[in-house]
Amino acid sequence: MIRRTALKWLCATFAAASAAVVAVPVLQLIAAPLRRRKSDQRRVRRVARLGDLPVGKPKEIALVGSRRDGWAVYPNETIGKIWVVRRDAATDQPAAAKVDVYTAECPHLGCTIGLGPTGTEFLCPCHKAAFDLQGQALPSDALGYENPAPRNMDTLVCRIVQDQASQSWWVEVEFEKFEYGIAAKIPRMSAGG
Amino acid sequence: MWHKLVSWLDDRTGYRSVTALPPRVLPEGPSWTATSGGCLFWMLVVQGLTGLALMTAYSPSVASGWASVYFLQQLPAGSFLRGMHYFGGQALIILAALHIVRLLLAASYRPPRELLWAAAVLLLPLLMTWAVTGNPLPATQKGFAQIDVESNIVGSTPVIGPMLRTMLVGGDQVGNLTLTHLYVLHVALLPLVAGLLALVHFQQIHRHRVTAIAAGTAGTTGPLLPYWPHQTVRNLSAFAVVLAVVATLAVRYAAPLDAPADPDLHNVPRPEWYFLFLFELRSYFVGPWEMIATMVIPAAVLVLLLAMPAIDSICSRRASRVVRYGLVAIGLSAWATLTVVPIVRDGRDAEFQAAKVEVAELAARARQLAAQGIPPEGAGLLLRRDPKVQGPKLFTQHCASCHTHIDPSGKGIKGDEPTASNLAGFASRAWIGGLLDPKQITAGHYFGHTAFADGEMVDWVTSTIGDADPDERAELDAKIKQVVIALSAEAQLKSQQGIDKADAQQIAAGTELIKEEIGCTDCHRFHDAGDLGSAPDLTGYGSRQWLIDFVGQPDHERFYRDSNDRMPAFAAHPGDSPNNLLSRQDLALIVDWLRGQW
Repeated sequence: MIRRTALKWLCATFAAASAAVVAVPVLQLIAAPLRRRKSDQRRVRRVARLGDLPVGKPKEIALVGSRRDGWAVYPNETIGKIWVVRRDAATDQPAAAKVDVYTAECPHLGCTIGLGPTGTEFLCPCHKAAFDLQGQALPSDALGYENPAPRNMDTLVCRIVQDQASQSWWVEVEFEKFEYGIAAKIPRMSAGG
Repeated sequence: MWHKLVSWLDDRTGYRSVTALPPRVLPEGPSWTATSGGCLFWMLVVQGLTGLALMTAYSPSVASGWASVYFLQQLPAGSFLRGMHYFGGQALIILAALHIVRLLLAASYRPPRELLWAAAVLLLPLLMTWAVTGNPLPATQKGFAQIDVESNIVGSTPVIGPMLRTMLVGGDQVGNLTLTHLYVLHVALLPLVAGLLALVHFQQIHRHRVTAIAAGTAGTTGPLLPYWPHQTVRNLSAFAVVLAVVATLAVRYAAPLDAPADPDLHNVPRPEWYFLFLFELRSYFVGPWEMIATMVIPAAVLVLLLAMPAIDSICSRRASRVVRYGLVAIGLSAWATLTVVPIVRDGRDAEFQAAKVEVAELAARARQLAAQGIPPEGAGLLLRRDPKVQGPKLFTQHCASCHTHIDPSGKGIKGDEPTASNLAGFASRAWIGGLLDPKQITAGHYFGHTAFADGEMVDWVTSTIGDADPDERAELDAKIKQVVIALSAEAQLKSQQGIDKADAQQIAAGTELIKEEIGCTDCHRFHDAGDLGSAPDLTGYGSRQWLIDFVGQPDHERFYRDSNDRMPAFAAHPGDSPNNLLSRQDLALIVDWLRGQW
């Protein structure tokens, strides 16, 4: 006859093992969205013809691509918005043109940055963060309070490339997203699933 | 400090009155047969927990049901948890049946435990209903077919049947509302009912528990072992074995995911195995007597079981034993026979087995396509837009009255009276090679049955190639081979991507030959050479757009014009006109299938 305490330990063991068989997979499942996928981190896109960009005037461009939402794939969605500003006038050396590209996602909390009413600054509608046309955060926001933006507008890597077929020059951008609310510009990983 | 906390808690909740109760004992002592209840209860708990986990990913609608289940199975532990839930549900039914059998044999329903018995008996039909509400949730072909039939059985109830069916289905046809209704039944209402039954059951166990003191006064000899831990350890170890079996099944076999529901698809409806006995029983009662199988007999069995306490009270001890054991013996053997007979019959039914294979292939294809992403409108479109699945069907429907599609091994689609060419491998090098072969062009699988059999093309092939000088024949054959390669490259077939790229030089040479030496452009147009009018345009021959244009209007000026034999124009009207024989989508599906583009 097995002692009672031994039996109680056996009960505890069986109960714990059975609980683990259920609990561990459940925890794995609900933690699934935390898994980060390295794929499609940077989406390289040709966004605008060099000739279409006015000098010094920011142009807002919406990037279209396929988007995964859980089990569904939406084929034609706006996956991001960017501001493209051509800095220098047209020359006979298009490959050396100076173009700045900023993501329109505000580094504060992610709203879409627009152009201020005077056209001389970038303005975020949510908490009135203000940036100059170089993407630098202004000392105070549009209402005169301290600028809520923790850093400057996030720049994106861009290149000037020539299209093989048409020979025209295009601005090519590596689109990516960054973490909100912090002073450092850290890429935001896309969630796995 | 700890002591003070514990006293405070006991003062507020009174929990010590529970733990201080005299320990429960089982009068017959701890046994392994008495674990049936414990196993059943904990299996129910596990089923509830795995169900909750599945609810974090499942979405109940026709568009998202299948897709969300497919997606869930790609998540870590998703496939395992779904497997646990699928096999766990079936384990529950078996455990409930075993529990009832044990209670019956032990006559545990005797006063004062009649309500305990009733709660146990009612649990079995509840569990089966629960499973019925769960199976259609992934919105599969099989699940929808099952709920369709099952809701129609509900609908056959006299008087209130049709009303109940319409309320359950949410309309006339199984669809979105059926899923939402089944979902609320499955995750909310039925658990509530099960919870109530469990509550009644546990209250009764507690109220009629035997304690050591009571057992002592009842006259049993020797010390009685307390339930905890002596019976508990048996319960938990037996349950651990059951759980291990279910988990092993879940790991070894994934829960099945049939093809997404689509009314166009072939159906092989069969209920789950635990319903096969009713399925078989129903086939013995035809027409208006069907209700006897679907409703009267099951209800009668339930009533009989519930009435056991009363029956037992009027029997002698011996008679009662005969009745109990007899019931179990007859019940189990009847159930087993009624379940095995249809399984064996279906196993011998070749047509049924062939249909099962077809359905399994569709399911596999659906899963293969789903891996590339499921459109927002839902998984049902995956197969409906798939040239591999739809091509043969549409070809059989629209083209096979004249054309055939038979591959080199002899398998394929063939009508009763083929009067047009065999389109298997159309525009491939082998196919065009056969067309330019004087021995084959007049055969049935090319122009043999058509008006072109004595036309100019056949004439040219037989005279220019067939009657060529024997010494020049070898050189001519080599040139024709290049022509074939060049012409076949126009089609840009997926299967020839590699060789078309590698043979760029041959293609260039062949193109020259077509335009100059061989002289095809004397009748045909080919890119910048030749004119339309005498023969079909060879520019882009066999390519997607060429084939779409050709099938749409074979009598177009680019193709056969007035010399078109009997082929109808499948898209004679512009746009996607409903007057066209083929819709734009169907035409594209046939073309993509013919070109191997899937």
